[in-house]
Amino acid sequence: MEATVAATIQVRGLRKQFGQTVAVDDLSFTVHPGQVTGFVGPNGAGKSTTMRMLLGLDAPDAGSALIGGRPYASLRRPLTEVGALLDAAAVHPSRRGRDHLLWLAHTHGLPGRRVEQVLEQVGLATAARRRAGTYSLGMRQRLGIAAALLGDPPVLLLDEPVNGLDPEGIRWIRGFLRALAREGRAVLVSSHLMSELQDSADHLVVIGRGRLIADTPVAELLAAASGDRVALRTSARTDAMSLLAREGGTVAANGRDSLTVTGLPAERITALLGAAGVPFSEVGSDRATLEEAYMELTRDAAEFRAAEGFPADTARDGQELTS
Amino acid sequence: MTAPAVTPYRSPLPPARDGFPQLLRSEWTKARSVRRWSVTLLAAVVITVFVSLLSALSGSFDVNGSPPPPTKGPDGAPVTDSFPFVHQQLTGDGSITARVSPLTGREGHIAPWAKAGVIIKASTDAGAPYAAVMLTPAHGVRLQSDFTHDTAGSSASGAEPRWLRLTRSGSVLTASESADGKKWSEVGRATPAGLPRTVQAGLFAATPELVTVQRHFGSTSVGGGPSEVTASFDRITVDGDRGTVVDGDQGTGTWRQDRVGADPTRAAGSPDRSTRTSSAWTLTGSGDIGPLIPDADLTQRSLSGAQIGLIPLAALGVLFITAEYRRGMIRTTLTAGPRRGRMLAAKALVLAGIAFLTGLLAAVLSFLLAEPALRDNRPNPASYPEAALSDGPVLRAVLGTALLLAAVAVLALAVGALLRNTAAAVTLIVVVFVLPMVLLAGLPVDAAHWVMKVTPLAGFAVQQTTPRYDFVNTVCLPENSCYPQGPWTGLAVLCAYAAVALGLAMWRLRRRDA
Repeated sequence: MEATVAATIQVRGLRKQFGQTVAVDDLSFTVHPGQVTGFVGPNGAGKSTTMRMLLGLDAPDAGSALIGGRPYASLRRPLTEVGALLDAAAVHPSRRGRDHLLWLAHTHGLPGRRVEQVLEQVGLATAARRRAGTYSLGMRQRLGIAAALLGDPPVLLLDEPVNGLDPEGIRWIRGFLRALAREGRAVLVSSHLMSELQDSADHLVVIGRGRLIADTPVAELLAAASGDRVALRTSARTDAMSLLAREGGTVAANGRDSLTVTGLPAERITALLGAAGVPFSEVGSDRATLEEAYMELTRDAAEFRAAEGFPADTARDGQELTS
Repeated sequence: MTAPAVTPYRSPLPPARDGFPQLLRSEWTKARSVRRWSVTLLAAVVITVFVSLLSALSGSFDVNGSPPPPTKGPDGAPVTDSFPFVHQQLTGDGSITARVSPLTGREGHIAPWAKAGVIIKASTDAGAPYAAVMLTPAHGVRLQSDFTHDTAGSSASGAEPRWLRLTRSGSVLTASESADGKKWSEVGRATPAGLPRTVQAGLFAATPELVTVQRHFGSTSVGGGPSEVTASFDRITVDGDRGTVVDGDQGTGTWRQDRVGADPTRAAGSPDRSTRTSSAWTLTGSGDIGPLIPDADLTQRSLSGAQIGLIPLAALGVLFITAEYRRGMIRTTLTAGPRRGRMLAAKALVLAGIAFLTGLLAAVLSFLLAEPALRDNRPNPASYPEAALSDGPVLRAVLGTALLLAAVAVLALAVGALLRNTAAAVTLIVVVFVLPMVLLAGLPVDAAHWVMKVTPLAGFAVQQTTPRYDFVNTVCLPENSCYPQGPWTGLAVLCAYAAVALGLAMWRLRRRDA
């Protein structure tokens, strides 16, 4: 059990207030090794503040933020315990990428060889001798991820790592994060865009206004949101609708020839349509996207959706930015 | 909720190290990897040397003929050696004794360091080795020798007559004093350099010049001029291998009346004012015996560029921390080294090392280039002591300048860490150093000295090489860059500022959210 604690992030009753604003309010969650945990919430939800407290940069007003069961400040060789990416822009523009990693490596007596390794790992080897000021945002993200990997830590804490990456970069980082988790690392990835975590996160910690909204495996969340929806195609849309509605289903038309049915299992739908002689094709369960699941999840938390214009608007903006 | 059964990751890398040397190396890597900072260091050297040279070449003097070369003492340093000398020849061991009456000045003015007594001198040449025991108006009995050595005897008031004796035994001269000529006590011993077998033993009276200083905003007038002291001697005996010669008895005519050096109060060839009665001499003296304090400290002036050269170094010190705050990189630094005090200490140490080496290069170049230029530009180059880089005081000034610049950089780093803002911190540092420099010219001497003692400016005292002697009154004027404190004391004041600021910065850094 001791070994399991060694690669976890534990947040217990965490609270932080800046003046009148409560940034983090009684927040508790655990990040386990072997999976990618998405840390989701709109901008200003308290994700970065939580991460800063985990890294010993800000002192909590109450509660604890532990890495491997210990507060960050008590870690002797922190880079070998947690790798962190907080802000990709936090590099001196006159310093070459390699030198930025080198001074970090030197704090822990790590050799220059290790710097070359992580540069290779994030695909920045060819740009290593360029000054960081000439890097694109995506390259800086890679540099920041390389910095987090320097000490080869069992815990990774990445604040908005997808931000600024091109589509190829996004595909790369999804695979990369999953690979890191598969090695037995605990990976916490924050994002204000649920869509960014699609296909990479195994678990989600959702916060809004500093409070925990959900702490759930992605699979469960999707199943709950998808419910018993069934999608089907039919050339006789009106017939199918009236038939299924009669049998107790809730039917929505979303195109000229496609329907979404709730309240009836797929087998029953096939049987009913077959018996009535209504032509159909492609009957299948309709999986909700993570974003839809998220909207479902936060529908009740209307107060912050109204306030933040989240999630639909932001999500769309984000998509445009990253593609 | 249950944790999935996963084997947590274990790194195959060799274990990392987390010592202070690692932090130092890290900060060094940071410092050397920003090219702009190397350029700043180069600028600090160039500015320091350039300003030093500029100030060396800008001074102009009206030279009316060439002044006489200064008298050189036994060790080659310029000295003042000018006094009326009534003496006899003395070969081998022997002694001279006299009773000195209280000293009187002219028109009631007498210098605290006026002096009269018995002296044994290698010859009557100015600058010749000597030892003398003397009575002073305000500093009791003193034994002085070879211009720079001074030993205090009793604090006998100058109001009572005092018996003084100087005894030669080989190369050692022993000084004694007595209130009544019977009970004697030893003042001390002196060993003048290379005293020949035959020396001149006799009486002297001398007094430093009077100095008055008047200061108004922007201008200072130093007045004064030659002064005089009169002393009477009686009960004079000279014991030696030529037999006892008591003045007024068989020794008539053995006394010779002379003058060592030129008399500053009268034209050449004018009569001496020493007078003799049956068994006594009255000497009216002017001129002085002691080290010649040069009117300018050329070594110090050759390093004056450091006053401007400190600005780029201070800017670098500030930037070394504020550049991290500006871009949020401080968080990366603090996650890599959560022990914040140690991190700042490592930063300070690396910065101090860099500033020291830069300052050393700047100081050595400034001295080598500007000191000869300053000397050539003076009307009387020979009156300044020779200065070589290997001389103790010069070495102290040059190394001290480097230390001073290192301390300024650390102070700047601390201010940067406290203010977390480049512009504010640089402005504050420049104001702290430049404002007092501007004020110095206008403040009354006492206030100016106070500023030079308690502000970080005090550190510049370390650049002074002119020796100070307790028994020589010197006029210490701010416009001559004369700092009232000793070199190391002044530097210590600056270092104290840097240390306190750094301590405060560490305390704040530990307490505040980053």
